Amino acid sequence: MASSDNDKSTLRKNAATAGVVAAAASIGQMAHAQGSGKIKVGLLGCGGRGNGALEQCLQADPGIEVIAMADLFEGKVRRTRDNFMKKEQYQGRIKIDDDHLYWGYDCYEKLARCEADLLLMATAPAFRGRQMMAAIKAGKHIFTEKPVATDVAGCKEVMAASKLAKEKGLAIVCGTQRRHEFSRMELMKRIHDGAIGELVGGQCYWYGGGIWFRGASDGMSELDWQCENWYHFTWLSGDQICEQHIHNIDVLNWCFNGPPARFMAVGGRQWRDANQDQVRIAKEVCRKFTGGEDNWQKYSGDIWDHIYAEFEYPNGARCLSFSGHSPGTGRNGEKIVGTKGTSDCNHNITGQNAWTYQGENVDGMLREHIDLIQSIRSGNVLNEGQRIAESTLTAIGARIAAFTGQEVTWDWLMNESKQSLVPSQADLMAGKPLYHAVATGCDPLV
Amino acid sequence: MTHKQKLTRRELLRSSAVAAGTLVLTGAPGPLAYAQGSDTIRVGVVGCGGRGSGAAHNCVESSAGVQIVALADTFADRIEKLKGDFKVPEDRCFVGLDAYKKVMALDDVNLVILATPPGFRPVQLAEAIRQGKHVFMEKPVAVCPAGIKMVIEASELAEQKGLGIVAGTQRRHQNEYVETMKRVLDGAIGEIVSAQCYWNMGGLWCHKRQANESDIEWQIRNWLYFTWLSGDHICEQHVHNIDVVNWAFGDVLPETAHGIGGRQFRTGEEYGHIFDHFGVEFTYPNDVRTISTCRQIEGTAGNVSERVVGTKGWTDCYSRIEGENRWRYRGPRSDAYVQEHTDLIKSIRDGKPLNEGKRIANSTLCAIMGRESAYSRQQFKTSWFTSRCTLDLLPAADLKLSDSRPVPAVAVPGQYELPGWTQQGRRNRG
Repeated sequence: MASSDNDKSTLRKNAATAGVVAAAASIGQMAHAQGSGKIKVGLLGCGGRGNGALEQCLQADPGIEVIAMADLFEGKVRRTRDNFMKKEQYQGRIKIDDDHLYWGYDCYEKLARCEADLLLMATAPAFRGRQMMAAIKAGKHIFTEKPVATDVAGCKEVMAASKLAKEKGLAIVCGTQRRHEFSRMELMKRIHDGAIGELVGGQCYWYGGGIWFRGASDGMSELDWQCENWYHFTWLSGDQICEQHIHNIDVLNWCFNGPPARFMAVGGRQWRDANQDQVRIAKEVCRKFTGGEDNWQKYSGDIWDHIYAEFEYPNGARCLSFSGHSPGTGRNGEKIVGTKGTSDCNHNITGQNAWTYQGENVDGMLREHIDLIQSIRSGNVLNEGQRIAESTLTAIGARIAAFTGQEVTWDWLMNESKQSLVPSQADLMAGKPLYHAVATGCDPLV
Repeated sequence: MTHKQKLTRRELLRSSAVAAGTLVLTGAPGPLAYAQGSDTIRVGVVGCGGRGSGAAHNCVESSAGVQIVALADTFADRIEKLKGDFKVPEDRCFVGLDAYKKVMALDDVNLVILATPPGFRPVQLAEAIRQGKHVFMEKPVAVCPAGIKMVIEASELAEQKGLGIVAGTQRRHQNEYVETMKRVLDGAIGEIVSAQCYWNMGGLWCHKRQANESDIEWQIRNWLYFTWLSGDHICEQHVHNIDVVNWAFGDVLPETAHGIGGRQFRTGEEYGHIFDHFGVEFTYPNDVRTISTCRQIEGTAGNVSERVVGTKGWTDCYSRIEGENRWRYRGPRSDAYVQEHTDLIKSIRDGKPLNEGKRIANSTLCAIMGRESAYSRQQFKTSWFTSRCTLDLLPAADLKLSDSRPVPAVAVPGQYELPGWTQQGRRNRG
């Protein structure tokens, strides 16, 4: 890659490449054969998913070069850079000098100012709205992990960023990989064409055994620790229904071509504070920050461990969303029910128009990057921003219904809710920790 | 009440005589008291609290020739109201945990109303049938699989003895439901592919512990909040809605239950150890999955209803069918709390006593399965639950009011033991 290339020339070259490639069967192969058309990538968020996404991006297209990394923690950015530098298979493609390592609560702003064409976003979802907005304003394409917000305000910010991206011709692809699996794409085409008749019901599940709970390292502030242990705070993760179950919720929304009209939900936190490993770590953290263990529950997080929600879609179909963490029976998947048949939303249709997908099975987590890069090269960019904001808001709507015990409508979420959980950038920079009480099940509706 | 005015003494005698004749022909062993020369249905009320009092009045109102003649309750103070209402003599009012036996031992009582906390129902039903009494019993009818088994056995015995059993799931006797469900079962909405039912509400009464109360006395007076007595609110209340969904499926049981639930808001010790919300997926044959929620949290959105969806339309189960066979119920609306008694007494007098015992046992079983699934967070099959789950919450035969009984721990997944589950050898992951 010519290091003198600036953003514009690289992209122009990419666009030209795409013109050739568009006629060919496989963009990936063409790009590889051609060996040029570099796309410069910056990674935001160097945790497990960030590392994974970067691997997948690098595998998706040989023209990817990594030029910058950012994370809240300096150690994590350096470790991630050094790890990738060592990987044989990416030799010559990781070109990150020390000036392109960013950390701190404003690292995303610095990253947006670097010369990358494409940013991969994999920090805790709380900050995604402002990260995306800054990136779009700076002219970057985006791959973002799901979910893209933890509150109503965040979803709206992503919707605005998505609109701006459209105006600027920038791509947004999101890590809801099911949308890029060939089998599901073929299947959804059939469902939308009426293969199972009118949709009258459905279910989606993500019930698992639990998740890590992280302690505080030396030198961490309370806010740093919260961000390190982000899954356990609603304002940071959106709770499990948002952070994890969104995958399945997104599939139901896909079936219905849009979000539900109405939400009802019950749920609670019955197990997490009985999980002895978690309690032990929470007590250690409490001792570290307060000198005693009396307030350990404050340090045990505020997310729930089960939510049972009903989504009513605009056509009146009522669907189940079943999510949580605890010992017990694990479940993950979806089912859609129509007047003429049903589907597992994956490979099969049963009923009058029974069908099984026989084609190629692809790795959706790789394919989403291929599709993104292909769309950038073609100049006909994908923009999944509005859609993933809607699916994120679907999960948040169900969470709000559960936390408050009230029925919530989509219109209310979009037009009346004032919910904003994430601290201002100034408060983050000042290092103020933020704790909410565990929701009661009849919290006020905001 | 139309019946009360219209039915003459002669008509009553005639219908009783017919009833007796039928019974003789079918060889039913238990002699019916009223067939022995009296035209009066003589009722003993077991459990004189709010629902027992309501049921007693509903019963008397339902048909001519009904008298409340004996009362039983665990507590003397609970008997006073009905004693006054129906002028029941002192020597026919019984108090204590075994008071029900004394009512059922009275030869002239031919119908008993069972309205004590549901944990006592299986034992009391068995005794009533043993003593040859017709039964009106409030729902739910058990709180554990062991109790369900007793109720089913008692119902089978009642069948043999020609005794009637009607349960207080009044929707089954409510015109709107009856007419709507008749059409659903006739295929008006096609094949059922989805269903939902709810009992979401605020809170209920609570009896705070008094200084002089033993564990058992307090728990019985505050029975809603103890699983061994109420079955938890999914069983105590939501059984109504679950029963309607079962009805729509032709009283075929779901094949699996998978529930979640917890105690998030109502956490004070005065509320015992039950949950304040449940969400259960019941899966009926052909993988038809249904939604069931119930909640008792003050200030939350209420919803007590059912909805069944088929390939040709859907229904609210109550008076409305949408789709290919759109229909509205336009008939008279009856008081179902009275109608259920009317139907029972008419069936007795007609000599074809209704027997809803097994049906209400099955719906109660579903609610219990939902509860146990939520307590344990395990999904299990109905066949496993009915054959292998060893949960037995039946009161001990020698239970005394003065007994100590600590409040059980609130169920926490991973800690709650679902009796019989470990024997399956498929302990959960995570």
